[in-house]
Amino acid sequence: MKYKDYYKILGVARDASADDIKKAYRKLARKYHPDVSKEKNAEESFKEVSEAYETLRDPEKRAAFDQLGSHAAGQEFRPPPDWSQHFASGSPFDQMGQNAFDDIDLADLLAGLTGRARGRSGGRAGAREGPIPGPDYEAMVRITLEQAFHGTEIDLDLSVAEYDERGVAHRVPHRIKVRIPKGVIDGQKLRVPGKGGKGMQGASPGDLYLDIQVQPHPLFRTSGQDLYVDLPVAPWEAVLGTSVELPTLAGAVSLKVPASTRAGQQLRLAGRGLSRPGGKSGDLFAIVAIVVPTVVNERERSLYRELSESSNFDPRAHFKLGAAA
Amino acid sequence: MNIDTAEALSLDENSEVSFSQLLVLSGLSDNDLRELVDHGALTPINPNASSWMFTSYCVVVARKASRLSRDFELDAHAVSVLLGFVEKIEALESELHALRAGALGHGPAGTSDTVSR
Repeated sequence: MKYKDYYKILGVARDASADDIKKAYRKLARKYHPDVSKEKNAEESFKEVSEAYETLRDPEKRAAFDQLGSHAAGQEFRPPPDWSQHFASGSPFDQMGQNAFDDIDLADLLAGLTGRARGRSGGRAGAREGPIPGPDYEAMVRITLEQAFHGTEIDLDLSVAEYDERGVAHRVPHRIKVRIPKGVIDGQKLRVPGKGGKGMQGASPGDLYLDIQVQPHPLFRTSGQDLYVDLPVAPWEAVLGTSVELPTLAGAVSLKVPASTRAGQQLRLAGRGLSRPGGKSGDLFAIVAIVVPTVVNERERSLYRELSESSNFDPRAHFKLGAAA
Repeated sequence: MNIDTAEALSLDENSEVSFSQLLVLSGLSDNDLRELVDHGALTPINPNASSWMFTSYCVVVARKASRLSRDFELDAHAVSVLLGFVEKIEALESELHALRAGALGHGPAGTSDTVSR
């Protein structure tokens, strides 16, 4: 079992009062709660903070935790030989051999002392009598834009608590294969019914909730189901019009760039974005960028000069209008 | 080992859940869920119906409400206010994201359908 220093996680002294512990928790919850925080690794940090608070706010669990001694965070340890008799009497951990603690999580151990298990939505499910629905699992899934466009299957490897016949939670690896529907977008939430933790005493299993993160793409940017791609064109292509081969997530298409196309103009390819469940697909927008050559040969320079002398085009005409006003 | 593939369901505006399903999925109490509806944090598809149905996106909101209530020890009214702010922030972030993507950088006047295979 790995040691976690709950006092250090909350940033309080080992003799901190209940009020100080509550204040420290609230401050850290404000900073790391995944629903209100933009901190990096907020979810992971909040999980630690929440776990620490769950233990230290409860005098019984805090006393049991204190008697485990002080170790370095992450250090493997076992409870002292008489610990179970003092703190786990009547609990599933009573009479457990010393080696039996190896695959037990500290939070599960302390939660088990008060005869409670985690129920749905991560909340407490009450006393361990009667059926207890399985806990929900939550996982962040990073997929590519191509996977979001086509839909994909992923393997999720989770470390979950499974209860043995005595009701002792053991950490076990758990693999779940999930089909992600096509058209999911960054930040979307998905539910996989029945793929959370097992229910106890005949109760239903929990669900698995997925938080989708779509990795940035080298070509396409996303906004909901719409996609955006920069389309560089040469000045003469913008003036005269042309046809270009444009990459899309479903393969390249031929795109007509009309004559007199302006920089920043958006050319819409209807229905070539991400698909919407039960509705029409998003669009792909090609944003025109007029790119000038940085190196020109003599012949080109001569043609540009000729164009300069024969053209009446004034791109700054509005400056004069503004100055006259 | 052969593992069955499970289907992930989108929590969006295209599917529905009942009031009792929302209770189970969110972990909220009956009273808290009704209060969230009263405060406008959750809106049934037809508020006048005898049994309320919600879009499945409400599962995301209700679970968020449940977490905020539990983790910050807030009542339903405070959670509703907080959810309102979170929703505004998310809308602004979405707008910023769209601006960065180029969606709002140029007006629709420059848009044209010009595709051919």
